[in-house]
Amino acid sequence: MTTFLQVLLNGLMLGGLFAIVAIGLTLIFGIVKVVNFAHGEFLMAGMFVTWLITTRLGLHPYASVIIVVPMMFLLGALTQRVLIQPLMSAEDDHVQIFATVGLSTAMINLALLIFGADIANTPNFGLRTPIEIGPVRVLSGQLYIFIAAIILVAALQLFLKNSQTGRAIRAVAQHRVAAELMGVNVPRIYILSFGLGAACVGLAAVLIAPLYPTSSNIGTYFVLTAFVVVVLGGLGSIPGAFFGALVIGLVDSLSGFYIGSDLREAVVFGIFLLILILKPSGLFGKRMTLSHLS
Amino acid sequence: MSISDIHSQTGMNTRSIGWPQVAFGVLLASLLLIPLGIDNAFVSHVFITICLFAALSTAWNIVGGFAGQLSLGHAVFYGIGGYAGVILFNLGVTPWIGMFVGAAVAAVVGMVISYPCFRLKGPFYTLASIAFLEVIRVLSLHFKDMTGGATGMMIDLRLGWTWMVFRERWPSLLIVFGMLLVTLGVAWAIRRSRLGFYLVATRERESAARAAGVRTVRVRLIAVAISSALCAMLGTFHAMYLTYIEPAAMFSLAFSIQIAMFALIGGIGTVAGPLLGAALLVPITEWARASLGASALGLHGFVYGIVLIAFVLFMPNGIMGAIRRFARSGGKAAVEPAQTETGPIVAPAHTVAAPDPDRPGIGQDILKVENLNKRFGGLHVTRDVNFTLREGEVLGLIGPNGAGKTTLFNMISGFLTPDEGKVSLRGVDGQFHQPTNPADFAALGMGRTFQIVQPFAAMTVEENIMVGAFYRHHDERDAREAARETAWRMGLGPLLNAEARGLTIGGLKRLEVARVMAMQPRVLLLDEVMAGINQTDVRRAIDLMLSIRDTGVSIIAIEHVMQAVMSLSDRVIVLASGEVIAEGRPQDVVRDPHVVEAYLGKEFAHAHA
Repeated sequence: MTTFLQVLLNGLMLGGLFAIVAIGLTLIFGIVKVVNFAHGEFLMAGMFVTWLITTRLGLHPYASVIIVVPMMFLLGALTQRVLIQPLMSAEDDHVQIFATVGLSTAMINLALLIFGADIANTPNFGLRTPIEIGPVRVLSGQLYIFIAAIILVAALQLFLKNSQTGRAIRAVAQHRVAAELMGVNVPRIYILSFGLGAACVGLAAVLIAPLYPTSSNIGTYFVLTAFVVVVLGGLGSIPGAFFGALVIGLVDSLSGFYIGSDLREAVVFGIFLLILILKPSGLFGKRMTLSHLS
Repeated sequence: MSISDIHSQTGMNTRSIGWPQVAFGVLLASLLLIPLGIDNAFVSHVFITICLFAALSTAWNIVGGFAGQLSLGHAVFYGIGGYAGVILFNLGVTPWIGMFVGAAVAAVVGMVISYPCFRLKGPFYTLASIAFLEVIRVLSLHFKDMTGGATGMMIDLRLGWTWMVFRERWPSLLIVFGMLLVTLGVAWAIRRSRLGFYLVATRERESAARAAGVRTVRVRLIAVAISSALCAMLGTFHAMYLTYIEPAAMFSLAFSIQIAMFALIGGIGTVAGPLLGAALLVPITEWARASLGASALGLHGFVYGIVLIAFVLFMPNGIMGAIRRFARSGGKAAVEPAQTETGPIVAPAHTVAAPDPDRPGIGQDILKVENLNKRFGGLHVTRDVNFTLREGEVLGLIGPNGAGKTTLFNMISGFLTPDEGKVSLRGVDGQFHQPTNPADFAALGMGRTFQIVQPFAAMTVEENIMVGAFYRHHDERDAREAARETAWRMGLGPLLNAEARGLTIGGLKRLEVARVMAMQPRVLLLDEVMAGINQTDVRRAIDLMLSIRDTGVSIIAIEHVMQAVMSLSDRVIVLASGEVIAEGRPQDVVRDPHVVEAYLGKEFAHAHA
């Protein structure tokens, strides 16, 4: 019983981690309507910077949030402005796909060039200490990620619902042309949104770095699961991504324990394919416009 | 990304060998002759790699380019071929047989995993392809007994042509060059065949392709099967060349991306593009890898990424796109459409006779619509609609906006399934059939146009019409000839080589009709082909429709241009709120008080009563 509870809790914690990675992805898709295949590499970049700051300056990894989050915001905004914006009117999808795939390839290999193939361990400053909750235990770092994911979801919802900019963002997400006619500066909203999505993954990077060793291909590892989460939760839906992440975290943890750790990815991606094929609007998807279906 | 590469500029009847063909031939030959001449192990290795990637990318392009389904999981098929080859090799089966086993397995796997993904569009198809790649990689790691797991598999040491394993490089070079030629040949043959046109048509506009009788799922499955089989055979070859395989290398995402990338850089959807892309990039990276060694870990990948981004931003149509633009601006006269001798067929200048429902020439029923009902949620869009169409008859279908006319069309052409009732169409065999999908309707001779024009934007006018013509003609040459004839008849002759996306709305409407006419339908459904065109064109269109009618085609026309309805229709049906409210001769129907009320409201009807 305790084992089961422990597996369950591990699943939830893993879900929190997936959620915080996926939120930025779903935000960007929901607004800019671009699937950012380089999202994982944004995470990787953020983790490397966190590692640099922590090891070189001896700061607590969480302190690097002051640098990493604005830096990632800039990177995202720049990506939108330089790479995606010129392709917004492209007639074929493949152009946008290749653009972010190219960015992803370039970033992975740039990291390989700079940091080599070795893994970089960020000092964990006690974030790997287990906290006992009754019979089960979690790492403090995992718990902080979980809490941060909840706060991030709530904060984004509040921002999108109540602020003037948030309203503009939602208007653009729902109808780009109509929003433009109402005087919303659409290109600016796109740049802001892409930056915001990247900033979210920057926060994720800071929180994840002390727990996972950083390497040039760490992004691929996380982002594939993030895609699963985002599709499961209904693309573009932030709460959906959160709950989708919890589901995938639990599936991952349970199947890893009961089926075999080498097959849990197959289970997760199997679910992904089933959802894509059978219910592409996602598990919790309301009747959103299915821009990905014919 | 126009689909017409080199060959379309020269056309079929004026086919000649121009400089692009010569240059391509020289490039191809040099892939074999340079390494054989230099006879250096490293040079040979580079050229083997070029041929391998060029062939893989060409095979990818059949699905990713022609069919427009951007797969980033094509390493699955390459890996299947590799594993099939090695496993059988170690069981004592020659890879010359093993590669066909691998191809068969890959073709089946390809069709099974693609079938459910066809309704996914753009990035979602791509995501699904990546997910399949991951699943198969994980499974190959798990089933260690068969695949050797993460440690990989070595082939037993057996040399010679039987085993496809050699000490020297040149035999491998010969084999992979031969495979490249085969792959290019297959891609070239597909591209200019009916299958190729159908694939591009499906990519550009799925519903229009279905209306033209294309079985979209089937053509895509064929493309996937061919593409994956070719990749698997190349995988077998490469496994023999490497003599060692492991899941991380065989089912790699980065490898899949590379395959797709060469096609994009060369020119996606073109036959020659993937080869150009590979020939340009592989030498650079192989050189970097060899001369810079470990210090340049990641350098070639970084260059790939940057080149990819640069191409996407500045040359999205790849090298082929640039060549074509250069050729066009360079020798404008040379690429002027080679016009056929067929002059414009002028429609008979009819003095429009008063239509008569019993005009001689009208035959038996050809289409029967019985008790048709359709609901969209709470909205009852079609209520108990009954009518028949007779052979050689022109039936006008009118009604206010939102009356359900287009929905009715969608049901009698198979695009929508009615909730109740049936549509039966008499085939050439004289029997009535009840088809259920657009392709079956088309097979019985039903052709339709769309109210909102649906051109295959990246195709030329000629190619657009050819998609229709392929319905009657299996050979590319015949289809092209038929398409040209139809184009001249529709007044599109001078625009044959123009891309459809550049046409005016009037031109697009004519193209829509031309495409369906090229199918030589027996029953023609025309959805507002005269909306938004000028008076002269309306008159020409009326003459055209009369000439179509006189060839024995039965027509149902949704039309708001009353001049056309009155002068063309033998009979008119008025639809309002999903119901037939009047039916009869045009001059009677327009006086019917119900009709006036439906169009202009009760008050107006009363005022004039």
